[in-house]
Amino acid sequence: MLRKLLIGAVVLPVLCGGAAWGATFGKVVAIGGAASDLALDEARGYLYISNFTANRVEVMSLANNAIQTSINVASQPSALALSPDGRYLVVAHYGNFAAPASPVNGITVIDLSTGGKQTFALGNPPLGVAFGLDGLALLVTSQEFLLFDPVSGSTQTLNTVSGLTPNTLPQAPASFPPNIVAASIGVSGDGLHMYGLTDTFLFSYEVNSRTLSVVGYVSQPPQGPRVVSVNRDGALFLAGWVLRDSLRRDLAEFPNATGALNVGGHVFDSSRNLIYAQIPDSTAPNAPPALQILDSDNLSVRERLLLPENLAGKGVLTSDSNTMYAVSDSGVLVLPVGSLAQAHRVAASQEDVVFRGNYCDRRVSTQQITIMDPGGGNTAFSLATTTPGVTISPSSGVTPATVKISVDPNAFQNQKGTAAATITIASGQAVNIPRPIRVLINTKEPDQRGTFVNVPGKLVDILADPARDRFYILRQDTNQVLVFDGTNNTQIAALRTSNVPTQLAITFDRRYLLIGSNNSQIIPVYDLETLQPQAPVVMPPGHYPRSIAASAKAILAACRVAGSTHTIDRVDLISRTAVELPSLGVFKNSVNINTNLVASPNGSSILAVSADGTVMLYNANVDSFTASRKDFTALSGAYAASAYDQYVAGNNLLNSSLVPIATFETSTGQSSGFAFVDAMGLRTTAGNASGPGVIQRIDSSTGLVFRATRIAEAPLVGDANYAFTRTIAPLYSRNAIVNLTTSGFTVLPWAYDESVAPPRIDRIVNAADLTPALAPGGLVSIFGSQLGPVNVATQEIPLPTALGDSCLTVNGMPAPMLFVSPNQINAQLPFETNGNVTLILRTPGGVSDNFNLTLLPGAPSVFRSGVAGPDTNLATIVRDANNTIVTPSNPVHRGDTLVIYATGLGQTSPPVPAGVPAPADSLAGVLVPPKVDLGGTPLTVLFAGLTPGQVGVYQINVTVPKNAPTGLSVPLTISQGAASTSMNVRVID
Amino acid sequence: MRCDTRLVRAIILLAAAPAAFAQRWEFGGGAGFGFYTSRDVHGESGVASARPGNGLSASAWLTNDTGRRLGGEIRYDYQRGDMRLSSGGTTAGFGGQSHAIHYDFQLHFAPKDARTRPFLAFGAGAKIYQGTGTEVAYQPLNQIALLTKTTDTRPLASVGFGVKTRAGKRLGLRFEVHDFLTPFPDKVIAAAQNAKVGGWVQDFVATVGLSVLTAQ
Repeated sequence: MLRKLLIGAVVLPVLCGGAAWGATFGKVVAIGGAASDLALDEARGYLYISNFTANRVEVMSLANNAIQTSINVASQPSALALSPDGRYLVVAHYGNFAAPASPVNGITVIDLSTGGKQTFALGNPPLGVAFGLDGLALLVTSQEFLLFDPVSGSTQTLNTVSGLTPNTLPQAPASFPPNIVAASIGVSGDGLHMYGLTDTFLFSYEVNSRTLSVVGYVSQPPQGPRVVSVNRDGALFLAGWVLRDSLRRDLAEFPNATGALNVGGHVFDSSRNLIYAQIPDSTAPNAPPALQILDSDNLSVRERLLLPENLAGKGVLTSDSNTMYAVSDSGVLVLPVGSLAQAHRVAASQEDVVFRGNYCDRRVSTQQITIMDPGGGNTAFSLATTTPGVTISPSSGVTPATVKISVDPNAFQNQKGTAAATITIASGQAVNIPRPIRVLINTKEPDQRGTFVNVPGKLVDILADPARDRFYILRQDTNQVLVFDGTNNTQIAALRTSNVPTQLAITFDRRYLLIGSNNSQIIPVYDLETLQPQAPVVMPPGHYPRSIAASAKAILAACRVAGSTHTIDRVDLISRTAVELPSLGVFKNSVNINTNLVASPNGSSILAVSADGTVMLYNANVDSFTASRKDFTALSGAYAASAYDQYVAGNNLLNSSLVPIATFETSTGQSSGFAFVDAMGLRTTAGNASGPGVIQRIDSSTGLVFRATRIAEAPLVGDANYAFTRTIAPLYSRNAIVNLTTSGFTVLPWAYDESVAPPRIDRIVNAADLTPALAPGGLVSIFGSQLGPVNVATQEIPLPTALGDSCLTVNGMPAPMLFVSPNQINAQLPFETNGNVTLILRTPGGVSDNFNLTLLPGAPSVFRSGVAGPDTNLATIVRDANNTIVTPSNPVHRGDTLVIYATGLGQTSPPVPAGVPAPADSLAGVLVPPKVDLGGTPLTVLFAGLTPGQVGVYQINVTVPKNAPTGLSVPLTISQGAASTSMNVRVID
Repeated sequence: MRCDTRLVRAIILLAAAPAAFAQRWEFGGGAGFGFYTSRDVHGESGVASARPGNGLSASAWLTNDTGRRLGGEIRYDYQRGDMRLSSGGTTAGFGGQSHAIHYDFQLHFAPKDARTRPFLAFGAGAKIYQGTGTEVAYQPLNQIALLTKTTDTRPLASVGFGVKTRAGKRLGLRFEVHDFLTPFPDKVIAAAQNAKVGGWVQDFVATVGLSVLTAQ
């Protein structure tokens, strides 16, 4: 215990340094000035910090994170670098003073082995310095690239710099080194590759070949923070808010970067394929400083940690990848990233909690989740929601903790769709920013068709595979394409995308999946047969392919372009490149940023729809744009192209010249999705996100709605940034229509709107031996016709009280269901019912006639689900001696202990709610004990009650006495109250 | 089991009676191999051939020559082998073993001081059949008969012949063949519901053994 306290005393101050926002990650080391650069000297155990305003190099001990000494140097140390052999520390001095003062630009070489210092004057202000593995320092000034040899003090000019105007000193108050010194250089971990960033150009330097490459750029916002981080082998580097590869291609960008030069920083962790970064977000200007932990290939955010203050420049990582040091507002932030597991954090065990209410069950429903510390620690937390009808118990605690979320469906009964409530997680101890929990409460009515499947996250596009029984859903928040099997709607793969994916497209030959994105200048490509990534398509610089469509002739991409003009580019899949089209036929290649493309299924055309109301048509036969109109002031919602020269843009049906020929009704809500199926259309609308959705069949020749059907929940609709939505995917197999909806997706049968006859119940028997003996809590099988529209078996625990659009009540109480099909339902009778009861089934087709039953307090029935070789329907009596079912070849022996699995033994103590598995820690014994005899000889009942972990399944444990009769067929009888059941077993010595 | 105990006591008494007049004793043991005959089990779904397990055997005996040509011995025989049930191309097996204890009278064809003594043997006793296999939920041919992990004690009749020869002053060699007859062990090989099996089963056992002889 004492040891634990001591460890805590050492670790906690490091992990929870500041207190500006509660618990924060990392420790601030103030240096009494403005840090401009860092160099890590692990051999000596020091971090060198150039103190730009105090004219010294601070030497911080890595052992105790304290400034041990300060080396006085010439004025304005703007950058520093340590030679690979650790002997020389080169310090660049930025002294670009305005007249009448004299420039004092230069470099200082500190021999760390002797302490000697030597200063060299420079003609131009030095902006950055970095050492390569060859022991030479690359020095960037405002006018040239120099190679500097610290041994001889000689310099060699590699190239000149143009277009860079150095800031003059003095600067206005509240200016910081990244605002003044206009460059940053990063070096790969192997010391062979350098990348640099200035206000106007990027450069790279190959150490072995001593080749320098420079490319200009224009960026709005600026590429801040002014930091360059490089991974171990130089294949990737992060310059400001852009992740690039070694060819400087834009692989991914941080969305909504402010571009502030002096706020933020980052570093690669190549051992974990991660990036630790702070990039301020323009959409959250008041957010506290946060360190993001991201995947290093596509900037997917894994976790966010609160920082005590802003990073403000370069970061370095120790060779063991355990500690990050970064320039920060006060000097340096020490971030023990390798010890993150020891920091207090808090998270929920699941992203979404789904409550499927139904018209049979209006009781308060409860589910459990776990609040945990990912590191396994004990972290205090609290939970809160502002949604009436949602309660949390307990609302605070210490991890790990089980929390019950209860929903009163009556509070949502007017929604008729899926309401999304948010539970926020707060913790004064945790250093992370936990993701909130989404609580989805569905309260659909009997006429609402479809079964929804929960898919957490922000879903932005859906596409059915035209050649395989699959569909693809684009999850934007995790940069993934989720691949689902259309036969059972289960996810079979997750494909990585670039950052902030926006739209999917499949090539006309049906072989490749292309993924557009808003924050990357590449198009990821996947082979649809293997689901393996292929070489991506590289877009022209500054072009972000937000929308892609593939015709039989051309693949086009509607691009957001860095600058004022957004374009449509042509993609060449052979060369994996794209070019901006010089014009769109007779029209200028200038489109609204919010433009989506969609190809007709026969590959003859591509429709372009823009939020400003413009529509354009690419004709594959002439390989050019043949129509462009602007009949609307704005467009949003669905977009689709048919194989019969008809198109949909928002609520409008267009002909082959894109002339509007019909307008769809808007009374059912906002346009969401449209899909042409043969010569007919399917259209979805949403009144509001928590209401029901509507799917309509459309006569595509007239645009008239000829059948409207409510669906289980609302389809997704667009927003200001993404005006157009594709939310319908009719599957290739024509078995189902999948719709992107509030909770994930909703599956409709292909003939979802066929009239359905009301259900008819013919017979109800217990599910064990299929006899009419029934008791409360027992499992039953209901036989009849039209009992459900589909075959659905559930894995959900607790069992749902509605399944496949069917629900049961017994005397008005909902009965949990296990399986639904047109002719059979398996369910559990509520424990609270007894005596003469009435069972009613509700389906989309209507309500069944009352079915009257008599329930006995106990009506034991042994399951006949046993199987032995070809023998089936065997009584589930298990010999404890070999844990094998009793059969004539595995007979009961005198002295055996037997376990008999049955149902219908009635109420228990403690009571267990229907639909809930029996607990293992507190065995639920039956209230009316059964008697068991074997050929007239009573058996000792050791236990009779619910089987732990099972729903509605009981077990009776008995021992067989030594005097039990033997024989090939001895009757085993279980009696409980007035009911009994009997079966023959073989008994031997 | 009480019945079995009485049987064993009777056999021991029977062996003790001639011992009162004994002039020479022989203690020995041997090993061999036994073959069972099979019986048909008639079931509703067909007929299966059933037998206890053929296999290696081991025996021990205590012999007493009460007269010039007459003798008797009490002996124990152990045999193990898988019980078999077969019908058509289907066969079921189950581990099994048997223990037999019986008293045999021996009639020699040479005087007791002869170097080689052929003999005839006949006697009675009991045999205990045991099923020792692993019980499983499904056994092939279980609609006809069931090979069972249990014990079945049956009366035994023994006939046999053999030859004894001296290998030294106090050492004798023996080769013999026995036929042990018992009623069919219908507990360890139980007929299934509505199936029938009965009759006697024979176990032919050939044994080679060594005996230690006492002085006359």
